[in-house]
Amino acid sequence: MNSPESVGMYASAKKIYPREIGGRFDKLSKLATILLLGLFYSMPWLLWDGRQAFLFDLPARKFYLLGLTLWPQDFPYLALLLIIAALSLFFFTALAGRLWCGFACPQTVWTEAFIWMEQATEGTRSQRMKLDKAPWSLSKFRKKASKQFLWITFSMWTGFTFVGYFTPIRELGLDILALSVGGWTLFWGLFYGFATYGNAGYMREQVCKYMCPYARFQSAMFDKDTLIISYDEKRGEPRGGRKRSVDPKEAGLGDCIDCQLCVQVCPTGIDIREGLQYECIACAACIDACDSIMDKMNYPRGLVRYTTEHSLHNENTRVLRPRMFVYATLLVVLVVGLVTSIAARTPVILDVIRDRNSLYRELPNGIIENIYTIKIINQSNNERAFSLGVSGVNGITLDGVGDEVRVDGGGVLSLPVRARAHRDNAYGVSEIEFSIKAVDDASIVMGEDSRFLGPTR
Amino acid sequence: MISEEYRGAKQWSRDKQAVFTVVWISFLSAAVGTMVFFALFDPVDLSGIFNEETNIGRDAGYALGFFFFWVLCALCSGVTAFLVRTAPKRDAKHRPQ
Repeated sequence: MNSPESVGMYASAKKIYPREIGGRFDKLSKLATILLLGLFYSMPWLLWDGRQAFLFDLPARKFYLLGLTLWPQDFPYLALLLIIAALSLFFFTALAGRLWCGFACPQTVWTEAFIWMEQATEGTRSQRMKLDKAPWSLSKFRKKASKQFLWITFSMWTGFTFVGYFTPIRELGLDILALSVGGWTLFWGLFYGFATYGNAGYMREQVCKYMCPYARFQSAMFDKDTLIISYDEKRGEPRGGRKRSVDPKEAGLGDCIDCQLCVQVCPTGIDIREGLQYECIACAACIDACDSIMDKMNYPRGLVRYTTEHSLHNENTRVLRPRMFVYATLLVVLVVGLVTSIAARTPVILDVIRDRNSLYRELPNGIIENIYTIKIINQSNNERAFSLGVSGVNGITLDGVGDEVRVDGGGVLSLPVRARAHRDNAYGVSEIEFSIKAVDDASIVMGEDSRFLGPTR
Repeated sequence: MISEEYRGAKQWSRDKQAVFTVVWISFLSAAVGTMVFFALFDPVDLSGIFNEETNIGRDAGYALGFFFFWVLCALCSGVTAFLVRTAPKRDAKHRPQ
């Protein structure tokens, strides 16, 4: 704000065209906010086969995702999913900088929602600044109180929704209405609600600036072909205020009129004209701001724009470079691997534990007996009958189990069994294999190795 | 976002930065640690290890585990931050003989 003229221009522009200062990227970020928050708040309410479609049932140690039920044993899927998430972050960061920060990070998304509430109750930026400076009055109290009411209600709803991913949300809602919520449920709901309130209401960009590790090392994923938000210095400088009628070339000026709008809209308070800074969360508000001014001045848009370092220096820029293909190929391979392995998952797990307290028992007629605990986990949602078998030693049989065992849908059956074989066939240590087969579906077969101990020869 | 704006970037003091960073990073680490740990171990199986009579539920087990990880991680990064920030500034070889 060097000359009075540019100050005047900014102010009048704000008065006359307040709605035109929205812009493309603003629309995009609003869309992302609505979409992501919409998903977060609605997903726990969806039903699938009469039960909650997305439920991470921690007390029962089972995750329900649509038709799929995941168990602690399925932990490798989660690990794979985290690797895919990390790789996607590399991919998108190398492609177009901090897309994640500007449009998808929960910190950004919730902050945006909290700002909407602030705007609705306290008005625009200048109104809010005035309000904060004004002495306490009834109207100030009313505005502040209604903002807090909106914020707190929204935070509590957020906490409730969060807990609803872990406890069936419909029952939880009824419990809340009946004021009979369990202690830990209440605690986590309030905890998450309070964290949302603090992070999105008060800490905001401080989280990005001081507390976020990604912000500090994302620059390591950049190269000179990464799309980043930059100010075109060659075109803009020397900057300076001027009347619309003045031809900048004759006046010896660049296209930047130094209106400061790009600085004023920046949520982290930086000046994009000083180059790429780690505080920049790539929200692209400065692009919208500058474009609106360029339109008003009848200059071409894009003085601040998404561009690459190479193209700013008039060098060839290649968005589709080897690095992108490597990331993309890895991503595709991992995603396909994850999907096929989940699709091909056998819906049953067999675990065999040999009794540690005894080596073997000798029965009359030269029969040797070993004791095992068989665990069958039925990962499908319906009850299923299995037939149990054992092989590996001549004439080995199982005692203590019927022809078929029934396991509840999603249930675990622990079954003590005795395996018997004649001593002539079972001297020393023999490798044996237990197997189960679903009675209704011959393709569901599962085997587990164990050992059968007999006397030494 | 343009019609709207923040009150300007307020600077946080160094101490405030350090405290919040330690709390936040240890929170994230504890979340990951809790997830991995309890995917492998069931709190109900663990509760009997020290004392046969302790029989806490899974809910309490998860919460206890999470806070244990959080406090541990916060201690670790807090002490690290403290030592780094209070270390002697000058290197030994630049010290006057």
